[in-house]
Amino acid sequence: MVEIIILTPFIAGLIVFFVFSAFSLPKSIGRFLLVLTGAVHLTLSFMLWRNHPQAIFDQYFAVTPEGMLSLLVISLLFFLISVYTVGFLKESQIPSESLFTGSMLVFLSTMTMVTLSNHIMVMWIAIEATTLASAPLIYTHRSAASLEATWKYVLICSVGIAMALLGSVLVVFSMGQANAGTPISFSALTGVAKTLDPLWLKAGFVFILVGYGTKMGLAPMHTWLPDAHSEAPSPASALLSGVLLNCAYLGIFKTNKIMVAAGLQDFSGGILMVFGLLSILAAATFILKQNEYKRMLAYSSIENMGIIAFGTGVGGLGVYGAVICMIHHSLIKSSLFLSSGNILLGYGDRLIKNTGNLVKGMPRTFVAFFAGFAGIAGFPPFGLFIGELCIILAAFRAGFHVAVTVFILSLCVIFAGFGNQVMKICFEDCNTAIKIKEKACMVWPQYLLLLTSLILCFYIPDSLNQTISDAVTAIGGGLR
Amino acid sequence: MMFNPVDIILSFVLLSVLFSFGADRVLTLIKLVGFQGVVVSIIPFFIGDHMSTGGTVFTLATLVIRGVIIPLSIFVAIRKGAIRRVVEPIVGYHASILCGLAVIIGTTYLSGRLDIGSVSGFKLLEPTAIALLATGMFLLMARRNAIAMVIGYIMMENGIYLVGSGLSVSTRHIVEFGILLDVLAGVMIMMIMAVILRNIKQTFDDVDTALLRTLKD
Repeated sequence: MVEIIILTPFIAGLIVFFVFSAFSLPKSIGRFLLVLTGAVHLTLSFMLWRNHPQAIFDQYFAVTPEGMLSLLVISLLFFLISVYTVGFLKESQIPSESLFTGSMLVFLSTMTMVTLSNHIMVMWIAIEATTLASAPLIYTHRSAASLEATWKYVLICSVGIAMALLGSVLVVFSMGQANAGTPISFSALTGVAKTLDPLWLKAGFVFILVGYGTKMGLAPMHTWLPDAHSEAPSPASALLSGVLLNCAYLGIFKTNKIMVAAGLQDFSGGILMVFGLLSILAAATFILKQNEYKRMLAYSSIENMGIIAFGTGVGGLGVYGAVICMIHHSLIKSSLFLSSGNILLGYGDRLIKNTGNLVKGMPRTFVAFFAGFAGIAGFPPFGLFIGELCIILAAFRAGFHVAVTVFILSLCVIFAGFGNQVMKICFEDCNTAIKIKEKACMVWPQYLLLLTSLILCFYIPDSLNQTISDAVTAIGGGLR
Repeated sequence: MMFNPVDIILSFVLLSVLFSFGADRVLTLIKLVGFQGVVVSIIPFFIGDHMSTGGTVFTLATLVIRGVIIPLSIFVAIRKGAIRRVVEPIVGYHASILCGLAVIIGTTYLSGRLDIGSVSGFKLLEPTAIALLATGMFLLMARRNAIAMVIGYIMMENGIYLVGSGLSVSTRHIVEFGILLDVLAGVMIMMIMAVILRNIKQTFDDVDTALLRTLKD
């Protein structure tokens, strides 16, 4: 049962890729299959969440609260993005559409595998597979710049993930002779955490953090991220930023769970906080002088990943804040990337200075873009405000006064830089004629994403709340 | 003092590490990485007491992939693409060789400090593994030729494989399962890399990564 949800998009992807390129079927069927698979995947995710079935290969896969949360986010996002993609593909010229659609579906399959994997090595393989499945998406436009972005993405992420493999090997080594019969799954390792050799476990954690942190976009390993996110077509950017980064975070989260169970949370928390702060500072430095709006959004993703890592490191209420930030960041950032796709199609330019007056030119996109900005900047009604507030409170309580001051100041700088650029895009005079009409399927997905985020701020269903608190308490966090 | 076969063949790997610091041709690097691939994949046969059938099959598969398929596919890639054969160093060859010596001395010292009980029988296992990792990193940073960088990455993978097979003597878990997956991933990466390399060559008419520096802040 659990495996079906991984296999469905994988098979659909292969069908689109091979059957369509072999028989040159009409493009509309491929697009239909994309949306259909998205809908089926969403249904399956809900069934999984309701029933908590056992996996057939239960030594490799398991339904965990944190994985389930990520899976629900992935499913919802993918479905809405696939609806947007149909409109997007009609408006833009993409050289090989079957490769693009097929890669999107295989990418969904690999990300689903990350959320459900319980085995250290399967997790590693799944995260590596996400890199490989998403590389063709970045190279969609076949330009020199997109080639450069793809090269950097594959090389830097592969080297990073090689580090994570080394880390995984070290974690297994920390089991020693005493645990020779224990399976190497995250749940089993968390169970025997006290008997693991702390030295090797610490070494393993550092390598895993650096490795998956590269993929998550933590500074100073983030250099591939702005290039990849800006060069990929907008639906792919939305997926990369909205869900792929969460997948990498999940790897770190699960390893941190072992660290907490072994009583090493001070060590792992400290490192997470340092990387988190570095990422926020890096984002603050680069976002101020950014002249491309997609790169600006990419740096904002680095900032948010930094916030999540920082919150996880602080512990307690901070972990709760981090999980809330993760959910809302996915919803809001993917809507922003989709809106940026409309802007790119409308103005035909990536530079902020060649855009302007969005409010008149593309009013429906403007609503989504501006509301998304308000959400991502942490204005009170949206969830990121609640998440960031939790993290700040937890950090003050734990006595990290200097760190939290840097944190707050950087957020202010980022807000100022981001706001300045968004104002230019939305309200500054511009004479460019808008090249596309705003179709319903190219604005409604953004509205729905933002609406979901807004609803979740006021009302979280009990079952969802339970899943969140299960995930949070597992690494020593909670609502206190 | 008795030397065992593992230490003897590993000493050749250490020598090859030194060679790869000084190699100026991509072809030499391919041969070296192929040799290292063969050696690291036969190591599991010498350590540990017994080997299950599955373990033997996986180890042989690794041998074929690391020792033959991967080096051969890079070789074919440069043949087909008529790619420049010089590694285009950022750090000069003499300085590179000095770095290589420093790496070997450093790793020997480091592994002397880290006492891994289970593999103490093989003095060179840890230094070689760490040296391979460091060499791969060095090639990634100090060479501009894209193929030399890919080879650096594979060298790192070889090092990790050696760490894995060395450490898993005591735990025994990873050898059969994880390593196969590792190798599969290696092949997948190679495929993607080959496609990217071909496109880089077509787009820029060279594989000098200095050309890939237009995206920045």
